Amino acid sequence: MAVLEVRDLRVRYNNTGPEILRGIDFSVEASDFCAVIGPSGAGKSTLIRCINRLVEPSGGSITLFGEDVLQLRPAELRRMRRRIGMIFQEFNLVNRMSVMDNVLSGRLGYTGSFRSLFRLFPRHDIEKALELLDRVGLSDHVNKRADALSGGQRQRVGIARALMQQPDLLLLDEPTSALDPKISRDVMSLIRDLAREFAVPVLCNIHDVQLATEFCNRIIGLQDGIKKFDGPTETMQKSDMELIYAMEVL
Amino acid sequence: MAMTDRATAHGGGGGGILSGEAATTYFERRRQARTRNALILTFAALVLFWCLYVTVIVDTDWERIGGRFGILGSIGRFLLLDLSLLPHLVVPAIETMMMATLGTLLGCVLALPVAWFGARNVTPSLYIFYPIGRFMMVLSRSVHEIIWAILFVGAVGLGALPGILAVAVRSVGFISKITAEAIENIDPKPVEAIRAVGGNQFQVMYFGILPQIMPVVLGTIIFEWDINIRRAAIMGLVGAGGLGLVFFRQMAMFNYGGVTMVLLAILVLIIIGEIFSHYARKAVT
Repeated sequence: MAVLEVRDLRVRYNNTGPEILRGIDFSVEASDFCAVIGPSGAGKSTLIRCINRLVEPSGGSITLFGEDVLQLRPAELRRMRRRIGMIFQEFNLVNRMSVMDNVLSGRLGYTGSFRSLFRLFPRHDIEKALELLDRVGLSDHVNKRADALSGGQRQRVGIARALMQQPDLLLLDEPTSALDPKISRDVMSLIRDLAREFAVPVLCNIHDVQLATEFCNRIIGLQDGIKKFDGPTETMQKSDMELIYAMEVL
Repeated sequence: MAMTDRATAHGGGGGGILSGEAATTYFERRRQARTRNALILTFAALVLFWCLYVTVIVDTDWERIGGRFGILGSIGRFLLLDLSLLPHLVVPAIETMMMATLGTLLGCVLALPVAWFGARNVTPSLYIFYPIGRFMMVLSRSVHEIIWAILFVGAVGLGALPGILAVAVRSVGFISKITAEAIENIDPKPVEAIRAVGGNQFQVMYFGILPQIMPVVLGTIIFEWDINIRRAAIMGLVGAGGLGLVFFRQMAMFNYGGVTMVLLAILVLIIIGEIFSHYARKAVT
């Protein structure tokens, strides 16, 4: 059974504005590492942000783990969000906090307001954070401030934070486009390995087609808010790409 | 017309930058602008003279100043320091410092909800709480600290407490305004991340917003404390304790040397505050 089912998803940012997503249907299976590709402005980021309702859709339905995401009340939505790990294009770390606190902030959904006021995270959370930081290769940077790290290191903190949630779904919003090609590849393979290890399905939007074909088993092509392609990576032809990007692909 | 001739001469037979009709209107406009400016200046000078005449020349009691030596004499009286007052200045000086410090701390506490209400991106309601927050900011700053002190002396009686309250209420405006502005200018990305992990409203503010605004807010608070030393020093004029009260008494006794002593004590406090805040502000940014 599909983990995530999206039906006829529509988004417009204001009542008179244009529709950013114009009726998207797709589903993500438990074993998927699914890429969403498409040109800038196709609605990739909007699509990803609809899944955890950082962006409110204006129509359609999203069923995640058997629950209708769009019907959730605020407290239920927060409970849903803590099961969804998210990794961002620009890492979205709190720069003035330590690497450790940034990783621990992944547990905020499970931590009460009072405990978080004094940063009283349970011991097993701290142990888990240390373990994850070791796993992403940042054991030497635990107490550094997040803004003291390089881009690739910061994204590793972002990955550790997302995994700290022990997520049942990972959303990646252009995780590599702020990084250079070599680091991009490292970060993608780290995410792929960890996703396999923790058996988490991944929905990843990415504009680098080469990375998408290399790391993802399924590809959804988006253009101007409409799905143009959906299938296993190996079935994607050059003509599909030309359709998605509406241009000659070399 | 002369203007046209000059313009065409410059342009070398009509092929220049300005010629004919365009040149006429251009020089015409320059001349008009000069005339207009001269008129405005003359008018401003007349108004200024009228102000001086009414407030200074007519309104001053020239007889009472009594010549050059009168002025020097009055100033001279202040220069004979009354050193016997020194031991009586220590406790009021400490009291002034405490009024400034406690007032600033209380001001920070009061500024917290005001900044929250008055920052567009976090206010609980843009139509109810936002205007309330903005109004409190304006109210706090538009009433002078002495007026606040008079109000609080009336409400809670004489002593340091009304001074602390006056300093606190007067500080709210500036601290909350700068804080609200800092909140409005934050980077929204960490906020998005905290929302995405399932953080509640408090956690979003505490982890997403607070670390970002902290340096600005701390710097502002230290700056405000520095100013509050000055404010606390005059609170005694209306009966709210501290050095101002000693100042007021010395003035009432016509002990001008004592008045100067108090002024020197205030100066010392302000220098201490200046030095401390310089290093403290460096440490937080």
